[in-house]
Amino acid sequence: MNIKEYISSGVVEGYVLGLLTAQERFEFEQYCEAYPELKEARTAFELALEKQAMENSIIPPADLRQKIASKIFDENKTAPVIPIQATPPGKFNWAKFVAAASVILLVGAIWWSMNLKNENDKLKSDNVALQNDLKNSQDSIAQIIAGANHIQKEGMKMVGLNGTANSPRSFATVYWDTASHDVYLLVNNLPKPPSDEHYQLWALLKTNNQLQTIDLGMLQLSQKPLQVYKMTNAREAQAFAITLEKKDGNPDPNLQKIYVMSDL
Amino acid sequence: MLNEQSNDAFNYLYDNYSGAIYTIINQIVPDKDMASDVMQEVFVNIWRKINTYDAGKGRLFTWMLNIARNASIDKVRSKGYRDNQKNQPMTENESRGMAMSTNPMVNDVGLKKVLTKLNEEHRKLIDLSYFQGFTHEEIAKLMGIPLGTVKTRIRTAIIQLRKMIA
Repeated sequence: MNIKEYISSGVVEGYVLGLLTAQERFEFEQYCEAYPELKEARTAFELALEKQAMENSIIPPADLRQKIASKIFDENKTAPVIPIQATPPGKFNWAKFVAAASVILLVGAIWWSMNLKNENDKLKSDNVALQNDLKNSQDSIAQIIAGANHIQKEGMKMVGLNGTANSPRSFATVYWDTASHDVYLLVNNLPKPPSDEHYQLWALLKTNNQLQTIDLGMLQLSQKPLQVYKMTNAREAQAFAITLEKKDGNPDPNLQKIYVMSDL
Repeated sequence: MLNEQSNDAFNYLYDNYSGAIYTIINQIVPDKDMASDVMQEVFVNIWRKINTYDAGKGRLFTWMLNIARNASIDKVRSKGYRDNQKNQPMTENESRGMAMSTNPMVNDVGLKKVLTKLNEEHRKLIDLSYFQGFTHEEIAKLMGIPLGTVKTRIRTAIIQLRKMIA
């Protein structure tokens, strides 16, 4: 579109004077958004028109100001009363206006309360979900604290189990209470075992060049972090190892499948 | 506090615009008492609808002027007004013509003053469309010229009008 031609076509003045059809008016408003020069032309004509209209304008009768002011302000002060009898013709129909306004208000109120109800329901379910989350978190923390209490006792020996060639990045820690012989295991990093196999912890003893292995129990790996597992007590141990065994456990370790092991 | 603000706002509107608004109403509604009624109606309406005014679509005065113009044309076209005019010995168009000519003060100010500078045809077109609110179709019938011609001539008249105003 040639905006210069459009501006000089008289459409700007037609718009300001209210002489355009609805379609033309709509178009003009759209173009105003796209072409700043059109908007400028409109404002320029508006200012000229305003100046012209103000020049030598007739002063209204003095009593009009008070009449209008009281119409505007008295109306605001007193709530409108619905007249029972028919309003005289030509007068503003308050009854109809109030009726229409109440319907609009009612629809608005219903819509509003429905929104509130939806919001309330959502808040309730959110709240339940949050409480569940909180309980889970508290349980986890309680377990972690319980685990930490176990492994911080006096006389507790901490042994690091390093990953073997089977799984170089794996690591686990055994806490061995040399007084009570309790054994706790902290799994720092072990791959998830296949579904038909489980990890098994062993205590290792070397006597007269003979390696003795003592079963310290199967490990049911949980998904929780920093979980400390209580294992079978060990009276004697020189080292610990974890192997991957068949589901029901093995009386003797499969030495080919050692995943982590401490130094002997 | 709110009342004080409302008072200030009303005083501002009235002080600045009542003259121009009253003038345009009188240029459309020749009867003085009726023009005063329309004036009250217009200001109350402006006050009620002020929150629908959209500054993106034009200046406040333009918006007020159009409210005043529309209310005045509605009044002239209303049954009550026409019934009133029937009591007069002249036809509607003649009586309007008379009102224009017998009240030179009203026609010598504001926008109507600009009209006097236009040629006869352009003046008539602006008078019919702007001051009497006839649609292009109605003007085409009234003047017995094709609709397309009415549209072009009104555009030309408007461009002339702008030259007088700017």
